[in-house]
Amino acid sequence: MDETALLENYLAVGALLFGLGMVGFFSRRNMIVMFLSVEMMLQGVSVSLVAWSRYHNDWGGQMLVIFILTVAACEAAIGLVLMITLFQRSGSLDIAVWQRLREDNLPPHVDREVPELPDESRPEWPHLTPAGVEPAPDLEEVTHRSHV
Amino acid sequence: MSNLETLMVLVPALPLAATLITAIFGKHVLKARSHWPTVLALVASCVCSVALLLAVRDESQRVQNPKAGWEHTIDLWTWANIEGAIAPPPAAADAMVANVMVANVADAGDSVGALPEKLPFRIDITLRADALSAVMLVMVTFIASLVAIYAGGYMHGDPGYWRFFTYISLFVFSMTMLVSASNFVLLYAFWEAVGLCSYLLIGFWFEKPAAVAAGKKAFLINRVGDFGFALGLFLIWTTYGTLNFHDAPGAAPGVLGQLRASHPELYNIVPAGVATATCLLLLMGACGKSAQFPLYVWLPDAMEGPTPVSALIHAATMVTAGVYMVARCTPLFALSANAQLAVSAVGALTAILGATIALTQTDLKRVLAYSTISQLGYMFLALGAGGFGAVVAGMFHLFTHAFFKALLFLAAGSVMHAMGGVIDVRRLGGLRRLMPTTHWTFLFGALALAGVVPFAGFWSKDAILTVVQERSHQGGAYALAYQSLLGISVLTALMTSIYTFRAFFLTFYGPQRVPHEAAGHAHESPPSMTLPLVVLALFSLGVGAAVEMRHADVSEFLGSTPSLAAAFGQATEEHGALAHLDVMITGTAAAVLGIVIAAFLYLGSASRAEWLAEHFRLLYRLSYSKLFVDQIYQVLFVWPLWLLALFSAWVDRWLIDGLVNLGGKIPREAGALLRPLQNGMVQFYALAMLLGVLALIGNMLFWP
Repeated sequence: MDETALLENYLAVGALLFGLGMVGFFSRRNMIVMFLSVEMMLQGVSVSLVAWSRYHNDWGGQMLVIFILTVAACEAAIGLVLMITLFQRSGSLDIAVWQRLREDNLPPHVDREVPELPDESRPEWPHLTPAGVEPAPDLEEVTHRSHV
Repeated sequence: MSNLETLMVLVPALPLAATLITAIFGKHVLKARSHWPTVLALVASCVCSVALLLAVRDESQRVQNPKAGWEHTIDLWTWANIEGAIAPPPAAADAMVANVMVANVADAGDSVGALPEKLPFRIDITLRADALSAVMLVMVTFIASLVAIYAGGYMHGDPGYWRFFTYISLFVFSMTMLVSASNFVLLYAFWEAVGLCSYLLIGFWFEKPAAVAAGKKAFLINRVGDFGFALGLFLIWTTYGTLNFHDAPGAAPGVLGQLRASHPELYNIVPAGVATATCLLLLMGACGKSAQFPLYVWLPDAMEGPTPVSALIHAATMVTAGVYMVARCTPLFALSANAQLAVSAVGALTAILGATIALTQTDLKRVLAYSTISQLGYMFLALGAGGFGAVVAGMFHLFTHAFFKALLFLAAGSVMHAMGGVIDVRRLGGLRRLMPTTHWTFLFGALALAGVVPFAGFWSKDAILTVVQERSHQGGAYALAYQSLLGISVLTALMTSIYTFRAFFLTFYGPQRVPHEAAGHAHESPPSMTLPLVVLALFSLGVGAAVEMRHADVSEFLGSTPSLAAAFGQATEEHGALAHLDVMITGTAAAVLGIVIAAFLYLGSASRAEWLAEHFRLLYRLSYSKLFVDQIYQVLFVWPLWLLALFSAWVDRWLIDGLVNLGGKIPREAGALLRPLQNGMVQFYALAMLLGVLALIGNMLFWP
């Protein structure tokens, strides 16, 4: 296999990784999944770097990738700590909980409510007389999705 | 500095020093002794003025050229100097070309060099001494000294004691500078300064809303007159190329100087229209300051001030500044018969107007205020008759009026002082036993004002009637006009004596009525107040006859003033002073008739006056409501100006401020457009970054 074709293949893999990571970052709201997506983007870039390094016969690129891996390990540790702290504060991993950086007078982003199903599609269950204390509605649950 | 010059400087400098001393030390150090610096300075200033008058008389008798008169000026320092401001006026330039100037210089005994091509706008602080100034100085400082002594008693215990004497001495300083000024700009500056003092003293009791409003009214109405005066000065500057009275070296010959006096045919080449316009503008200024129709409405309200102020400023001195100015500018007025008639007409109209209103006023000080307006009208009537005799008559009346009107005001103040501040004649009566000195002095003042034979007012009023009659006999275009003005002035004389004695009888005769404000302590005033009254009463009795006895000397003395010298020369060529017996008899008859009418109406039962008021209800209402002039001005001037002010406020608030606020709103609104982008969503920021990167890449790919 000639050098150019090899490079193109590697670059394609790198771009694919980067693109997948980016799509993941944009489409998911779980912080850990987003974090994984970012890592994927980073690895995509690293693959391209290795490919170019081999293509140019310059080991500097591969050295740089080793550094990136080291730094990525540290960054992963810090990122996870931050996420744990955020989770402890809000009880949720949803990134939309943390939108307080917006302008004061802008309304918060609220997820669209799912329309209730029409009555006929729901079977009529016998229901008991309510008893006990109704738990207070969880605001976080109302405004944000509970699972992602 | 010669003896004369020292006196000229001392006269204004002493009151100025007193002002500074009372202003600095009055509040904390002098306190109740604040009147001492002022009284001492004013008395000293008065002595200096008398010495100055004698020195001027001696000097003027030694004058070489009677046509040029005598004057002495000292330049203290230069106030402003702008080189090459104006080309010499044509008359002076022609004279220079004809090389007459050099001959004139020796002739006039002055040192005027050749004129440069462009004249400077140069204002020197120049004091002058001549007959007219000296007479005014003596009058001002003498009355001021007496009023200051009186005020020491009258204002006793007032919280603003030191402030009062500061203002009084500041006023005397300004007034003495006004009459000593030898330059129109300086005259204007001190004209404003006396106006300021008047404003401060009318509003002296500034807790009273009426006093504040009166002060503001006086100030604003004077602005109207001063506006005309300022325009007159501009016109004089462009016409004559100088604003000096005297002939200064390196400048065009003075407006009222000796060169013009001795060679009118060379210098007084002024277009008739310009001359009339100048005089009318100056008259407008004089109307404001001297309370002439239509700008007289501030003077009655000015009586809100303390009574000594009414006596000094609003009766004897400041309000005569306009008369002084017109008398000083005689050569200008001599150029325009129309302007002279305007002066006379304004004077006569004001005289009869003031007398009509004074007939029914119930406030003693208001009666005297309208009487002042009326008497000032007399002075203008005289000045407008033209010629030297007219000026002498006007100045004579100014002089005697200062004494008897100050006397009347101070006597009214004495009544007010004893009656606990009540001055409404309806609530007073029979005070002659309680206050004998005040009664007698008021009687002397009233007789002088009415013009009864030996008293001062008789002689000066007679002089005025005489000059107006002479003017009407001279024929010419306006003989008939002056004839009717004479009729008006005789009628005014009758009304003058009616309203004067109405006030006198109501206050001092009839059943004794003392208002409850004064209950228990109605008394004669202290000697510091009665002494000036007695002095003024003696002067009101004697000063007119004394001047009349030496009429020729006085005329000659006043004729030595450069601005009057030409008119004096003309007058002596035409005829000497003749006693006009018919005028004297008419005047005296009017005065006596007035007293008799007043006695008939107001002595004894009040029913006669009430009957008259009932049967001439319309006339009574007109007079009592001051001819509704205030209300007419309210509708004609105040309301339109009010609307204009509201409109301006609206424009300022919404248009000007709106533009400024718009400038502040633009960045805010532009920011609001971008604000939704900051929505706090992490993924949106990431997307924005992606789009930005794509845009950059696109830029690199497609527009390398």
